[in-house]
Amino acid sequence: MKRRDFIKRTGAVSTLALAGGLVLPSMIAKKQKHITILHTNDTHSHIEPFSANHSRNPNRGGVARRATLIQQIRQENSNTLLLDAGDIFQGTPYFNYFGGELEFKLMSMLKYDVATIGNHDFDNSIEGLYKQLPNAKFDFVSANYDFKNTVLDTHVKPYKIMVKEGVKIGIFGLGIELEGLVNKKMYKETGYLDPIEITQDITDQLKNKEKCDLIICLSHLGYYYKSNPNKISDLNLAKATKNIDLIIGGHTHTFLPKPTIVKNSDGKNTLINQVGAYGLNLGRIDFYFDEANEKSTKSTTILV
Amino acid sequence: MKFTHFLCLFLLLVSCKKTEQNLTKITGKNIAIDTTIAASEEISKMIKPYKEELTGDMQEPLTFTPIDLTKENKGKQSNLGNLLADLCIEMANPVFLEKTKTNIDFSMFNSGGIRAIIPKGVVTRERAFKVMPFENELVVVTLSGDKMQELIQYFVKTKAAHPLSKNIDLTINKDDYTLKINGKPFDKNKTYTVLTTDYLQSGGDRMNFFKNPLKLTVLDYKMRDCIIDYFKKVDTLKTAIDNRIKLK
Repeated sequence: MKRRDFIKRTGAVSTLALAGGLVLPSMIAKKQKHITILHTNDTHSHIEPFSANHSRNPNRGGVARRATLIQQIRQENSNTLLLDAGDIFQGTPYFNYFGGELEFKLMSMLKYDVATIGNHDFDNSIEGLYKQLPNAKFDFVSANYDFKNTVLDTHVKPYKIMVKEGVKIGIFGLGIELEGLVNKKMYKETGYLDPIEITQDITDQLKNKEKCDLIICLSHLGYYYKSNPNKISDLNLAKATKNIDLIIGGHTHTFLPKPTIVKNSDGKNTLINQVGAYGLNLGRIDFYFDEANEKSTKSTTILV
Repeated sequence: MKFTHFLCLFLLLVSCKKTEQNLTKITGKNIAIDTTIAASEEISKMIKPYKEELTGDMQEPLTFTPIDLTKENKGKQSNLGNLLADLCIEMANPVFLEKTKTNIDFSMFNSGGIRAIIPKGVVTRERAFKVMPFENELVVVTLSGDKMQELIQYFVKTKAAHPLSKNIDLTINKDDYTLKINGKPFDKNKTYTVLTTDYLQSGGDRMNFFKNPLKLTVLDYKMRDCIIDYFKKVDTLKTAIDNRIKLK
């Protein structure tokens, strides 16, 4: 039964309920909901801030500061999700010495919800990543890495659905092609599937079967490759697919001053954001929903 | 309609489960993490023991450089790239010689693999970790003349200053080139031994000419360990842009 028909046929019931002194219309009336998405990418084991005499990023970054900022935002809006787009590992001796243990423990303390896997997360081989999973109290998603014949089998799901204040959020992951980028002895039998085909399948499932209100892609494909414009990238993915509301990117260490708006294959807006690297920035996207009886055809205002 | 039916429908409506969520507004911004944000004590406390274990080891001074060593591309060379290519062959050749009774002809790495500069002054162990954070192993590939031509073509075509050791004497004139290796003109009927990393050997950075070599010798020597050993050996790092690559 269609929603509209359902309302019509129960109209009489509503009237009865009102007569009984219950305030039903207030439930039907619009209620605004607010979901905040916070995100990082390519933090590359940068636990501490850059030193004061660093040439490019003096006194910037640091997980302890990121924690404070996230805490403040969570106090503003408890309907907040914290996501990461991969390359958590590699870049400081913390990784060489402790193998990613501290990175995962800190991300767990910051209450990350979901992350995807970057190429450098295989730097201690797929077993090295597997070994650190008990330290991660958050989930990993990847839709186009096939881990069936590896130790990560069943430990990484294609997507995760989270519900915040009745808003259903589908989050799926995409990884970059590992061949030629990572030594095969590191990623072993990890299979690589076409990101566009997978995205079409997954977003169809999230949108039409799971009825998600918001679809987020955690991508480690890279923002765009100027010298290789046809290579799959976040910009190309957004244009070639539909149903994605937000792509949180990584890999290319692109410091976007603000999110990019791209028209998808349906002519609808998709947002792409990436916050460079090393935990120098935190990305913040706020989604506001009006609860209504029917799907509105009204457009969405985007302020970036 | 029975009362139970009425109740079910009523509860359905009240529970509001099936209402649509209409996305009306999106805002986005990227927030800098800087000194205006206080560090969380809880997180700092968690980091502390790990940090203490690291700091002692990492701050050990190993050598000194009078100038900044960087990846700055000057005619397809960089002073840091030259240093790394030269020091690796110097440190790895004795290992290879012992294993095979032959010498390495030259070394080649990728500029993307150099992950940090070496600022002038004291060079610590930490710096070696920053320059070479990866656990890459040094390997020696024996290449046919054909694969050698592919290697040089790759270098001639790219804009990047991929590190080549001083054994190379390459003059590039547009797409044409002349090449000497250890003072002798390149001979495509000969085979050559090239020092690189396991990462590049397996096709990293699309250096596919390393992929199926005539012979592959694993040295069991990590590139970072090689750098650290060299830093311990010399008082002062000496390197420069020189004539190994000439652009006409």
